[in-house]
Amino acid sequence: MITFDVIGFLLSWFTFFSIYAILSMSLNLEVGYAGMANFGKVAFYGIGAYVSAYVSMSIFLSLAGLNYPLYSLEATMAMVKLASQNPMLNVSVFILTLILAFLIAGAIGYVIMYPTLRVGPAFFGITVLSFGELLRIFLRHYEPTGATYGLTGIPHPFAWIEDVFVKNLLFTSVTLIILILLFLYAQRLVNSPLGRTMLAIREDEIAALCMGKDVPKVKGKVLFIGSGMAGIAGCILAYYIGSINPNIFVPTVTFDVWAMMILGGIGNNKGAIVGAGIITLVDRATAAINFVFPGLIIDPNFIRWMIIGLIIILVLLFKPAGLIPQTYTWTPAWKIVKPLEEKAKRRREKLLSPFKKISKWFLMGG
Amino acid sequence: MAPILKVVNVTKYFGGVRALEDVSLDVEKRAMVGLIGPNGSGKTTLFNVITGFYPPDRGEVYFKGRRIDGLNPNEIFKLGLVRTFQNPRLFFNMSVWENMLVIPQDQKGESLLKAPFTRLWLNEEMEIAKKASSLLKDFGLKDFVINKVSDLSGAHIKLLESARGLMGKGEMFLLDEPAAGVAHTDAHKIFSFIRRLRDEYGLTFFIIEHRIEVLMDYVEYVYVLHNGRLLSQGTPEEVMRDPKVIHAYIGE
Amino acid sequence: MPTITEFINTFWVGSIYFLSAVGLTISYRVTRVLNFAHINLMTIGAYTAVLLSLSSPVHVAFAIPVVFLVGGIFMMAVHFAVYSRLMELKATPLVLMISSMGVWIFVKFFLYGLLGYLQKAWKVEMYLAKPRLIVGGEIKVEGLTLSGDLFTALALATLAAIFLYVFFSRTKTGKALRAVADNPDLAEISGISHSRVMYITWFIAGGLASLSGMMWALFAHATPELGDTLILQLFAASVIGGLYSVPLTTVGAYTIAAAENIVIATLHETIGLEVSYRPFFAFFILLVVILVRPPLGAGGGLPYRFKVLRRLMRR
Ligand SMILES: Nc1ncnc2c1ncn2[C@@H]1O[C@H](COP(=O)(O)OP(=O)(O)O)[C@@H](O)[C@H]1O
Ligand SMILES: [Mg+2]
Repeated sequence: MITFDVIGFLLSWFTFFSIYAILSMSLNLEVGYAGMANFGKVAFYGIGAYVSAYVSMSIFLSLAGLNYPLYSLEATMAMVKLASQNPMLNVSVFILTLILAFLIAGAIGYVIMYPTLRVGPAFFGITVLSFGELLRIFLRHYEPTGATYGLTGIPHPFAWIEDVFVKNLLFTSVTLIILILLFLYAQRLVNSPLGRTMLAIREDEIAALCMGKDVPKVKGKVLFIGSGMAGIAGCILAYYIGSINPNIFVPTVTFDVWAMMILGGIGNNKGAIVGAGIITLVDRATAAINFVFPGLIIDPNFIRWMIIGLIIILVLLFKPAGLIPQTYTWTPAWKIVKPLEEKAKRRREKLLSPFKKISKWFLMGG
Repeated sequence: MAPILKVVNVTKYFGGVRALEDVSLDVEKRAMVGLIGPNGSGKTTLFNVITGFYPPDRGEVYFKGRRIDGLNPNEIFKLGLVRTFQNPRLFFNMSVWENMLVIPQDQKGESLLKAPFTRLWLNEEMEIAKKASSLLKDFGLKDFVINKVSDLSGAHIKLLESARGLMGKGEMFLLDEPAAGVAHTDAHKIFSFIRRLRDEYGLTFFIIEHRIEVLMDYVEYVYVLHNGRLLSQGTPEEVMRDPKVIHAYIGE
Repeated sequence: MPTITEFINTFWVGSIYFLSAVGLTISYRVTRVLNFAHINLMTIGAYTAVLLSLSSPVHVAFAIPVVFLVGGIFMMAVHFAVYSRLMELKATPLVLMISSMGVWIFVKFFLYGLLGYLQKAWKVEMYLAKPRLIVGGEIKVEGLTLSGDLFTALALATLAAIFLYVFFSRTKTGKALRAVADNPDLAEISGISHSRVMYITWFIAGGLASLSGMMWALFAHATPELGDTLILQLFAASVIGGLYSVPLTTVGAYTIAAAENIVIATLHETIGLEVSYRPFFAFFILLVVILVRPPLGAGGGLPYRFKVLRRLMRR
């Protein structure tokens, strides 16, 4: 029993970890590389989730020839039956909505933010923060997506597997694979001429503009990718928890993601993932504390949030580079630079020297 | 020969403050021209107007016969007009090497779709790298490639700024006080280096300096700004002898 | 048609927005920190008044200085603990802004925890409270009641405006603040203590915002989310002022209040728009301002003009 719980804990942690790692990676592209303070990350996360929920439920219901409103109890009930009938359909709808979530969230990110790219980071931050809040207010009043109650009965891609454990294992593996693919993509993106240009824009956007870079265009590209990735995270979330409502997408989610990115190291994809790992783990742990010690005089949730705030402040004050600091953008051009190669060689030798000594010692001894 | 840069009746006000009034000037190709004037006389503002930072209130700017006022700074850079800043604006937390590589325009690897696939932009990248490495050698910066710019000395930063300008298709350089805060002897070194660059690369230079003396040996023609107006112009000797200029400088 | 109440509320709410937004504007202008912790200040002000009047009602004339002091001191403490240290590290405005966000989250949930604790310990409703302040001066005209709260808000806004005007244009300290705002390096040279200027700015901004929170609690009520629900309005008002100009921020505050009261009442009657869509107006105004009259200069920003706009603007 106990071992099963541990695995269950790990699976839920890995899933939330993947979702948040994708979010913090996307935020890192925007903030760490292009210097855009996106305080409205949650909006694109929410758009991804709502697009996935809406599209998948509509497809399932219309294929079954039912035309209940999506938010109705009948629809939810019907979805329970429909979801476990056709494995092919489930999986292909999942893939379709992943793509749609990426494209729609990305496109909205591009469109909404383009007007604000020209003004300073302060104005940009305010505008996106407001956008996130407005989206939530809008969703709370928007009947077709169930207003405050949201949508319930999102068809899990592996609903047709009876064994809950296998089902969750499979889903978690898929999310981890998506995370790895996105990580590889992000790594290649930042270690390319585009990554270099993004970094230059973060350093000094006016200088970058005077050096011929079309700064708003590059920022637009980054926002498209960043928002799209957040959309993918939202899509995974929707399928994982099966029902979504506007109150999931409060601004505090954005701050969680910020804390992860700052803790891990601004401007480093690996850091973003490490930060997400640490904070989601702490999160799961506080959930456990909540469960073990009910009725604490101060809600552990509040303490958790205070810790998030503190992490942001303390890291900025005492370790501004985060756990894994930013490095150069490693394009192939570095190969031309001789001194660097020599330096790397020397460093490699230094790293290897203890092993050499040990191996020598073994050889001599043996 | 038509001038490479032509400024016609440019006027610029900030609120009620007059920064430039009816300034007209020409810069010939491959020339070294100075722009002098006391502090606050509008020199930097003129550069800002030429390079598209501010649209002029009135007047026109032509570069290589093309009207450029109203264009964005990045478009003007692409035409070959490079500027430097009074306080150098490099990408300080990036390496010297990256500062050079980032400059060339419209690199293939800057496209969202091509960027993740190294194969698609590898050749271009290597060409850029070769150009950068030879420029860094010319400028004596070869040993600093992996250093962050913030670790460089002031003189090296100034050098890097020019080297960086040459990574693009720069034909004309607007240098804003390249020898600011530098002792006279070092200033002479900098200006002779600029002259060498002009001769080797066939560039045009338009240089701001607020001390008349140091610039005089190097430029062929000088414009003098005072309170936003063109006070005088001519060869360095003529300007030095102009009573109006003497008055402006002593009056300061 | 909007009733007289909507017009009254416009001035009432507008004054409250003004008190808060003007603090945001001057603090950004002088310190270059876009202060998200400003949001906490309103909540703090509201609850200071609530706690002051917990056992027995107190007079508003007593509450005002106390609330002002609490807010001002809180902001100075934040500057001491966080911003001043980051400034020493030569942090960019972006980093300062992020740190202020950290402060915001921390303080917000600290307040939540504290209020929750008090609620349990003292058995009083804290998450939805109302300060019991004695405010005289109620006027009844033709069946219409103009409460003393309204007059207090108007008076405070007017006094704040006069104070700021005199302070910035007549006093030595005020001029120092302006000098730092316009040119930080120059001000340093001319021997004005940079650090003192910062503390004074935070004190004023914090005090005003905190008063604004108290007035809002009188208008509506105090909740731990009080500041958070007004983010958009405050920032929009400040953005209209370009995060720079006090008079324009005033215009912004009252414009947004008018949109939220008069315009929405009209639209509600004519096209049946839900009143809860209120914040959309502030956002709409914000977008329009950013697009049409982008506040470059003070807030950083790019000397860049979009092609479409450029064509439209060319005369
Ligand atoms: N962005 C601006 N806003 C308002 N006034 C400005 C701005 N830029 C320059 N000025 C004013 O224009 C005048 C000329 O400044 P500047 O061109 O920097 O002089 P210089 O470079 O010759 O020392 C000064 O009075 C300065 O205060
Ligand atoms: Mg100047």
